[in-house]
Amino acid sequence: MSTATLASASPALAGDGQWAVETHGLTKRFGENVAVNDVELLVPRGCAFGYLGPNGAGKTTLIRVLLGLTHADAGTMFLLGHQVPRHRDVALARVGAIVDEPRFHGHLTGRQNLQILAAAREPAAKSRIEPGLERVGILHRADDKVSKYSMGMRQRLGVAACLLGDPQLLILDEPMNGLDPGGMLDMRDMIQSLVAEGRTVVLSSHLLDEVERTCDAVAIVDRGTVIRQGPIAQLLAGSSFEVQVECAEPERAAHLLEGTPFGSAVKAAPDGLAISLPEGTERDAIAQINRLLVGGGISVYRLQHIQASLEQWFLSVTKRLGEEDGE
Amino acid sequence: MTTISDVGAAAPGPAPASAPAATRGDHRGSWIPTWSMVTTRFMELRKRRGLMIALAAVNIGIPVVFLGVRLITHAVDPASYGPAGGYDIFTTLVVGFMYIFGFIVAAVVGATAGSVDLTEGMFRHLVITGRSRMALYLARIPAGLAIVIAMVAVGYTIVCAVCVFAAPTQLNYDGVNVPEGLSRPALDTWAAQHADKVICNFNFNGGPGLNGPPPSVPCGNGQTTGPPPGAIIKSTQGGTVTVPAHESQAQIRSFAVAVANQDYTDYRANFLVPPTSLMVDVGLWITLEATIGFIVGLGLASLIGQRIVPIILLVVLELILTPLFSRHVVSHLLNLERGIVGVAMVHIEPGNLPTPFNGGGPGGGGGGLGRSLLIPESTLVSALVIAGWLVFWTAIGAWRMMTRDA
Repeated sequence: MSTATLASASPALAGDGQWAVETHGLTKRFGENVAVNDVELLVPRGCAFGYLGPNGAGKTTLIRVLLGLTHADAGTMFLLGHQVPRHRDVALARVGAIVDEPRFHGHLTGRQNLQILAAAREPAAKSRIEPGLERVGILHRADDKVSKYSMGMRQRLGVAACLLGDPQLLILDEPMNGLDPGGMLDMRDMIQSLVAEGRTVVLSSHLLDEVERTCDAVAIVDRGTVIRQGPIAQLLAGSSFEVQVECAEPERAAHLLEGTPFGSAVKAAPDGLAISLPEGTERDAIAQINRLLVGGGISVYRLQHIQASLEQWFLSVTKRLGEEDGE
Repeated sequence: MTTISDVGAAAPGPAPASAPAATRGDHRGSWIPTWSMVTTRFMELRKRRGLMIALAAVNIGIPVVFLGVRLITHAVDPASYGPAGGYDIFTTLVVGFMYIFGFIVAAVVGATAGSVDLTEGMFRHLVITGRSRMALYLARIPAGLAIVIAMVAVGYTIVCAVCVFAAPTQLNYDGVNVPEGLSRPALDTWAAQHADKVICNFNFNGGPGLNGPPPSVPCGNGQTTGPPPGAIIKSTQGGTVTVPAHESQAQIRSFAVAVANQDYTDYRANFLVPPTSLMVDVGLWITLEATIGFIVGLGLASLIGQRIVPIILLVVLELILTPLFSRHVVSHLLNLERGIVGVAMVHIEPGNLPTPFNGGGPGGGGGGLGRSLLIPESTLVSALVIAGWLVFWTAIGAWRMMTRDA
């Protein structure tokens, strides 16, 4: 089946339900350690969704629970509208996933490994081996033993394995691991093309820059708990931002702002000033800064609103939580 | 604290739809594996070059080398080296080698099939397909058995072929060349004609009217058999008998016939070539033993999650525990001893074979000395023990597969 066919077939394969992934009160414990803590997660269909968190935050454990690789201690979950684990066979029929580092039988070729996995799926999966290998760019190495593959090639083979089931939902755990810059770019393009076909891609990562470039929505997890989730633009819209001011007489401009609510946030910059504004600041503050400077006789050449990056936002959120815990 | 911040507003993507026909016909929740699952699992095992070489070397290579050397040496110097095949070689190879090492090799294949998905990271890929874990487990059984049984069959066929086509032309019974397959009257006639050989070499167990060997029967090298004339010996019926100075030829022949009659049952268990029915029975028997080795290895490896420990445990079971407990009765552990699958297998071995763990080679004899040393167990109990082992280890392996974290 060609890529185009895969794409056209996808919408018809969707299960019931509004969300690609839906969890309520999901909890997983390992003894005293709560790896997944009362997680309420809603992943919209047809988007790239990032599941972010520092190492040890419980990202992989949540994925393992969702996929039935380990059992949950409490809570309910749905994949493509099907409750799991009760209907895991139906739910997983249209799910592809890479969990942790993708590992395969090293003594077999890439193609043979996919044949084993295709055999466990529906009969049509066998016909998706060639297109899958071609799509991830390892068709020319398909008959080499996997033991000779690099880490990046195994990642690609893992994605090809995901595509065998013509998935509506792909769950990729740290898919950028082991990839060189070119490989990361290819992976990003592939994820975006999968989303463009109407599929949902959930990727867990701690590479925030990559997630920001790839995903439409994110959830942030820390110590097993989802602390924020939503579309990236929406989450960042309310976050802190910086205003860069290019002006004449930067020192006098800084002095002018000292007596205002912006005074403590002003820093010197190469061509003027940089003013960091806290989360929740209205955009009108930019106009207010402009009025103050112009009113003070400062020539303002440029005012630029610099939105905080996902990384900055993530760090600010997790840092604040850490401080709250410390208090 | 978990917060949901307005994600619900954005739910792009295709509208929910019911499962398509292709999905509805997909019975991946069924515990029955598909043919493709079996064939790909077979491929996965077959492609393990080291394992296959070891398997072929033990099941095929060693018997081929053994028989090949015998064929060559016999061809070069037939006076010094006997024929390569024949019944004795068959029993020696089958009981002393193929039976025991067939089990061990099958256990290695089973332990490999039961553990490699886990140790090589494929298990989670397979679980993620949504396929029933029971089906994933059961697919390994026909795939592994296809390899094990094929190897055993090839090795066994070679052994049978050589033993039949390179068999000796005369039967050697108790060191005497005797025509094969004689009826009791025919053996009596032959014994009367070769009385000295019979008296000197055949086993003699006494009995009514048989007080002992007659005197002065020449046995070669100037030796004679029997007590000296005039000696007083104990009669088997009580009392004493004076050995006469000379026996008549008629008496000597009569004694030889009596001895041959005593040994007839044992003689009938000796063949120039293994009978077809015996070869079939033995083939099934060693196949069953290999099947047990595979199933137990598979279940144990699935339970433990690794390959080496199950192999060591099964080697210990086969080479140490089974010989030990099949011979030595511990009265308060008798039922436990009966529960050992190797003991049960010995009890259902085809007739006319020496018992395993008895040093191999002929001598045990079906129903003979070797078997009489075994702990007592009925055929029904043996069959139940074997079935129990197969069911138990399949169940325990499948259970672990279904409950294990991937």
